[in-house]
Amino acid sequence: MKILHIDKASWDKGVLKSGETYRLTGPVKDKDTHAFKNLNDGELPDMGYVETKMSPKALLFPRSEVMLTYSTNPHDGNCNIMKEASKAYPPRAVIGIRPFDAKAIQLVKLNFDTEEYKDPYWLKAYEACTFVGLAINQPSITDFSTSCNTGPFDETGLDVLVVDTGHGFLAKILSTKGQAWADAAGFNIEAGADAASKITAMKKEAEANIVSKISVDKIAGKTVLELFDAGHWEDTAFGCINCGTCTFACPTCWCFDIQDETYGTQGVRIKNWDSCMTGLFTMHGSGHNPREYPYQRTRQRFMHKLKYFMDKYQEGIMCVGCGRCIKQCPANIDIREICNTMNQ
Amino acid sequence: MTEFEPKIITFLCNWCSYGAADLAGVSRFQYPPNMRVIRVPCSGRISPKMVLAALRKGVDGIWVSGCHPGDCHYIEGNYYARRKFTLLKELLEFQGIEPGRIHFSWISSAEGVKFAQVANEVISEVKKLGPAKHFIKCAPKEIAAA
Amino acid sequence: MINYTENIRKISGDLLKSGKVDVVIGYKKGTLPGINEPFLARTPEDAQKLVWDSQCRLNLANYLTNRKENVGIVAKGCDSRNIATHIIEHRVTREQVTVIGVPCTGMTDKNKLRELAGGEITALTEKDGIITVTSRHGEKTVEKQDLLQSNCANCLHRNPVINDIPCADPVPEINTARNDAEIKAIEAMSPADKWAFFEDLLSTCTRCYACKNACPLCYCPTCFVDESRPQWVGKGDDPIDVRTYHTLRAFHCAGRCTDCGACEAACPMNIKVRLLTGKMEKSCFERYGWEAGLNTEVRPALDTFTLHDPEEFIK
Repeated sequence: MKILHIDKASWDKGVLKSGETYRLTGPVKDKDTHAFKNLNDGELPDMGYVETKMSPKALLFPRSEVMLTYSTNPHDGNCNIMKEASKAYPPRAVIGIRPFDAKAIQLVKLNFDTEEYKDPYWLKAYEACTFVGLAINQPSITDFSTSCNTGPFDETGLDVLVVDTGHGFLAKILSTKGQAWADAAGFNIEAGADAASKITAMKKEAEANIVSKISVDKIAGKTVLELFDAGHWEDTAFGCINCGTCTFACPTCWCFDIQDETYGTQGVRIKNWDSCMTGLFTMHGSGHNPREYPYQRTRQRFMHKLKYFMDKYQEGIMCVGCGRCIKQCPANIDIREICNTMNQ
Repeated sequence: MTEFEPKIITFLCNWCSYGAADLAGVSRFQYPPNMRVIRVPCSGRISPKMVLAALRKGVDGIWVSGCHPGDCHYIEGNYYARRKFTLLKELLEFQGIEPGRIHFSWISSAEGVKFAQVANEVISEVKKLGPAKHFIKCAPKEIAAA
Repeated sequence: MINYTENIRKISGDLLKSGKVDVVIGYKKGTLPGINEPFLARTPEDAQKLVWDSQCRLNLANYLTNRKENVGIVAKGCDSRNIATHIIEHRVTREQVTVIGVPCTGMTDKNKLRELAGGEITALTEKDGIITVTSRHGEKTVEKQDLLQSNCANCLHRNPVINDIPCADPVPEINTARNDAEIKAIEAMSPADKWAFFEDLLSTCTRCYACKNACPLCYCPTCFVDESRPQWVGKGDDPIDVRTYHTLRAFHCAGRCTDCGACEAACPMNIKVRLLTGKMEKSCFERYGWEAGLNTEVRPALDTFTLHDPEEFIK
């Protein structure tokens, strides 16, 4: 694995240079937080950022995305025929993505890229991306990523892992895509022989700073019904107001809802984020709702993340331990606590 | 350039203003044809959702007309409506809908003259403001591209 | 605050033991510094987990909606006004509810706490009106007074209006009149500026609906945002759909809102959604002299009228 050394001044210049080849996306200040956005000409990603409230999943799976267009005008040749919305997918470099968010994209991929079904919108956007990750030196108190098969320096799903050493950056090239981006940026100074051990040491230190842990060993051994019918759910979910905050902030929540919007004789079919926290999510056409009570929706979210997903894909839990839902929940519903309860 | 002709959605109570519109018509009182009338059973029936739905479709003005206080066919519907309209108008104008886009009136079925007169007033005020600028739900860019 | 917690535990424990109530709705200590979790105590032992401090931002009346059993509920001033509103609107009966009244000295603003800490808060303590937050950058100590949510700083009714078992003596009120400075500043803008102001204000909204779900007033079986025949509002992040949602939400709360601030505290994007509901409350007060939830007898502003309500704008 090649490791490059980039001093901070060259970093800025190189990133901007890579913008000639790539559409750049990165964390930028947005009101009182940071958000992943397409960078304007000359704009740099804020590599000192701590966190983004919304995960970067929206880069591949936007909050609302037009999939198809249609016409209901009988004089149009293609009346009532759905057409794929025309979209461009130029190469894009996602700079500063956190390792757990990159890992989350790999989990979401399990859903959008299967043998049977492939989501063309997600996949085209995914394939256009080069992920330039930024390791986390100081994990948050709600970060439990090391319990979720990832961690502050995890390389899964990344093309480059950038480590901020304080004096400059070490960039570990992890794939040919990553190498292509480094070439486009003109980064070519190989780091000294001690770079690999430096990264390992920083990784160890960061992992040691993680104070939150969860355990799912007993969940794996229990049956679905045992967990589903456990008596605690009404109390566990009592505080939950069933808003969509956790599902929207979550980097691994992939559920969507399809809506048609018609404007005169023209229309679009849109894919919107959906949330299992809402009653409408499972409302049948008949008016019957199998998840009639709020606690059933809360239970669904945690059962999906911590049990169904694990059983179905054998890829661990559907959570990367980023801690967004814990921090943003208005009612302090804490996935770590619920995981503990389920794991007893 | 042709003069701007606003589209105005007009909600008229079945028991009074709608009759007044009819009376204005048979009496040959003149007012410009910018109105699109929606007959409602009572001004109290009008929900803010309907007003917003009209704005979202891009209408330039809205006019709601019902029975004079005390004359409601359902005794008190227009009293509730009066409070509702007060708050709705304030809420919309608070967010940047220009005063003069949304109008309310009390017109009994005998007041054909008043109907034509208020219609003229509403149309001229909306005309002065020009086409609606805000609260219009536009088609996504993908439609234009298709 | 410590004796608030002790008294709440004692009162709740007694209520549950005596069988006067089947459950008590309150707060338990949160898993993060600076937030507590709404909690349902079913047994006298559960009652020992109840707490009270300045991090109880949600409105517990929200958890009362449609409950069938006898409920004890810990309520600050605004919560109690929403309980009154619930009773007027037949969500619960007066007989069913036992209010454990908390004379409230305000809740801290989660954003002010974060700004004070200058980063992630790793610990928070509160004693005698003094708050200490700890972060990686060290420790900061500030009077709670300076950290209040704006609705708390401007609060007019700190003591519960329904107060079956007070957990402490009433606190003095700190304000005598509404403070509408923020709303007046917007009112003074030109229409174009007003539009732009709210465009920016709502630009980060993700439609997670935390604001409406945190609100005790939002209990409709089907919210207008979920209606499909007709569909009043699109489901996505189109700015006009977002604006439609917030406008109608504010309107539906008009004359019922107690300015408890739960919506704003719940918003993960820190959008000042209270500006819209606040405008409605200002109008109700100025035009009808109405403040929501002060007793269980009078119908809310939009559910009543007088023969001579102001109508200067009606032709």
